[in-house]
Amino acid sequence: MTRTKLFKYGDWGIYILFIVIVLGLPLVMTDVFWLNRIAKYLVYGMLGIAIALSWGYAGILNLGQGLFFGLGAYMVAMSLKLQSYTSLQQGSDTPVPDFMLWNAEPGAPTELCCITSGSWLWLPFQAQWFGMVMAIVLPVILALVLSSAIFRLRVSGVYVAIITLALVLLVRLLIIDAQPITNGFNGLTDLGWLTIGGFEFDPYLVSTYYIVAVSICVVLLATRWLVSTRAGLILQSTRDDPNRSRYLGYDVAAYQVFFFTVSAGIAGFAGMLYVIAAEFASPSFLDITFSISMVVWAAVGGRSSLIGAAIGAILINTIEATASETEMFREAWKLIIGVIFVAVVLYMPRGLAGLARDAVGLFAQTRDSGKTRTARSGAPAE
Amino acid sequence: MAAALTIDGLEVDFGGFKAVDGMTTVIDEGELRVVLGPNGAGKTTLMDLVSGKTPSTAGEVRLFGKEITNWPEHQIARAGVGRKFQIPSVFRDLTVRDNLNVAVSHEPRVFRNLRLGMAAADRSRIDEVIALTGLEPVLDTIAGDLSHGQMQWLELGMLITQQARVILLDEPTAGMTQAETAKTADIILRLKGAHTILVVEHDMAFVRKIAERVTVMHMGKLLAEGPMARIEQDPAVREAYLGSGGVH
Repeated sequence: MTRTKLFKYGDWGIYILFIVIVLGLPLVMTDVFWLNRIAKYLVYGMLGIAIALSWGYAGILNLGQGLFFGLGAYMVAMSLKLQSYTSLQQGSDTPVPDFMLWNAEPGAPTELCCITSGSWLWLPFQAQWFGMVMAIVLPVILALVLSSAIFRLRVSGVYVAIITLALVLLVRLLIIDAQPITNGFNGLTDLGWLTIGGFEFDPYLVSTYYIVAVSICVVLLATRWLVSTRAGLILQSTRDDPNRSRYLGYDVAAYQVFFFTVSAGIAGFAGMLYVIAAEFASPSFLDITFSISMVVWAAVGGRSSLIGAAIGAILINTIEATASETEMFREAWKLIIGVIFVAVVLYMPRGLAGLARDAVGLFAQTRDSGKTRTARSGAPAE
Repeated sequence: MAAALTIDGLEVDFGGFKAVDGMTTVIDEGELRVVLGPNGAGKTTLMDLVSGKTPSTAGEVRLFGKEITNWPEHQIARAGVGRKFQIPSVFRDLTVRDNLNVAVSHEPRVFRNLRLGMAAADRSRIDEVIALTGLEPVLDTIAGDLSHGQMQWLELGMLITQQARVILLDEPTAGMTQAETAKTADIILRLKGAHTILVVEHDMAFVRKIAERVTVMHMGKLLAEGPMARIEQDPAVREAYLGSGGVH
């Protein structure tokens, strides 16, 4: 087996192992509370994949990925809010979210169409499928418009990071400010369950875990395929030397827009799954610290590896959950994660995935040199 | 013979300074043309104007009769112009093989490239280029780890893979050893005929080895044009570029 083959098999081995563990986990983990927790971390894993796709493969550092995650979350949360028991108890024919009553102008009719200014925007969300479709469509459209403007103007590097960072903060502010239709700081809570074909996906059911688990496996394999295509290779070329790609005839902006948008779509999808598992949507999804956390997860796992970034996200969050429950680490945890991040950036820029590759490379090397030694020692005996 | 590249009264004005000032020349299909000129004559700027890197302020560039003046770079490239930069410009984080794979660019659209592998014809073209440039032993090497000469040949190989009909080479032997320069000259001579080539070069030994017709630029303008032997004797050229010491 040659060295490159070893890398290839090792790579697929990790993917298969990951999928087997993720899908097989409910067999060994019977605590539904932890299963629900892990489901949330798998959602974070999807965010890691989205970051690795744009940062690692396209060289685009998006510090506002929470924007797409948050929008996806809000879209589906709006539909689930209208399915909530309390929304049906407000004395109207159509469901009305409870917070709208608190924010209603005096004398406004208790109807979704006109209880607060802008509440009519909620009307189509009475259909659950509308919220679910919009959870992906809205981030995709926004990403398409935004990235077309950014990349056609050949904005790159740190400026993309600044623009995306500013934008996530702006939208966060808008959501908080639009209290009559978003419930402001409090976010959307007390949601109904996702219902498909009469089946209610209680977040603490194994079936709900499987929605998330299958989703991350599909996203992982789909993005893996995407970066293996010629388009994925050309994208990496635009990361290395955009001018060279241009002089070969490639429209660099088109590739950047495409992959930025795919990444945003994954983040929106992740936002939707998070709401299904966590039963709330909040402006904190658009906090800058959350978007930066995603980048940290991807960096620790290895930004140039999709599965590395996913594992990084899942691992850090699992450790965080365990550590923050220990009295000693509760306050110190943020500090620890900061130190880990600095150490990774300084000493292993390719993250855990890079470490794994080096280990495989070292293994191949020692095995090869072992072979030559045997050959040499065998020679005199002839 | 048909004109491959026509440069007609091309001009660029950098706030009052005209780096290229009414330059006109016609390069025939399959020709290998060398552009000479002292530093600051506008040779590299001329390539920038033709390849779309810098927009021109007057004049025209025509490629096989089609006007391509000031098109976006990638469209000029698609029309058939390939460019090699003075500082080797390859994809440093990709392997040599992947660099050549990316250079197969006859289908540049995103959605058409959402597929694995490539056509047999493209693969065999890459194999030809590998044989021509002698990159076989380093195919799996990351391009950033190549020697300077290998990097230059890789970039040259990418232009051939790209099937550029007109190739612009900006000082292809800069920083090369004598042996590397000789190999580069061999590669370029073998491309002659199949591709139309425009070379900017300072190394006179190299120029004598490859040149047929030579264009001399001075202060952004055409100074002289003709066979190498005649150009070397041209008093105006000796005065402007070669100095009193003659060609060396």
